[in-house]
Amino acid sequence: MKGFSLNPVELQEYQPNRYPFLMIDYVEEVIPGKSAKGFKNLTLNEWYFPEHFPGAPNMPGALQLESLAQMLTIAITTLPGNKGKIIHGLKHTVRFKKEVLPGEKLVIETEVISWKRGIAKGKGIAYTNGEVACEADMMISIPDILKQYLPKNEN
Amino acid sequence: MPNIDKYNKAFTEAFMIDESNLPELKYQDVGGWDSIGHMQLMSRLEEAFDIELDIDDIIDFSSYEKGKEILKKYGAEI
Repeated sequence: MKGFSLNPVELQEYQPNRYPFLMIDYVEEVIPGKSAKGFKNLTLNEWYFPEHFPGAPNMPGALQLESLAQMLTIAITTLPGNKGKIIHGLKHTVRFKKEVLPGEKLVIETEVISWKRGIAKGKGIAYTNGEVACEADMMISIPDILKQYLPKNEN
Repeated sequence: MPNIDKYNKAFTEAFMIDESNLPELKYQDVGGWDSIGHMQLMSRLEEAFDIELDIDDIIDFSSYEKGKEILKKYGAEI
């Protein structure tokens, strides 16, 4: 499938999160079912910097992971039939390498390892200033699709 | 590895349970065999037996014993 980009307005068609929880600004290239990469620009205006932490603002690790998961989501929701579907996180393993600071650009690259029966496995790496800030193995699902495959004796 | 061993291994590794739990095991009997666990079990079985399960068989796969009947259709005698 051919790659394409999504600007901040367009990407919201494929990503249900909204302010203050939309953690990606721009999708530079998504290849549906394969990969998605883009970025999040961080200004001192981000809502979490005043509290995390006063005098030493840095992006919370949980939100860095959220950025990776939201970008991976784009690689799945751009597949035919998946647009607008709700995605849930299932299992993420993340490693943080450095602080992500106001004024920096968080470059986010994600790759789909497998997509089958409503479950996607993927990995992602986020960079600032050309260095790895965090990396994660992720598992996400589209419950709408997953439930079509479940045994009927579900309680 | 004998088919029964491959079959049992898929369950014990997907759900992190002991082989002694398997004979009566049904979907949702243990915490690991939830919706996600079900898909993980299907993937492990497909890999172990080099098959691709149809959606109807994935839905019908409601117990350890039922699964043996289903795999027979794919040429895997357990």
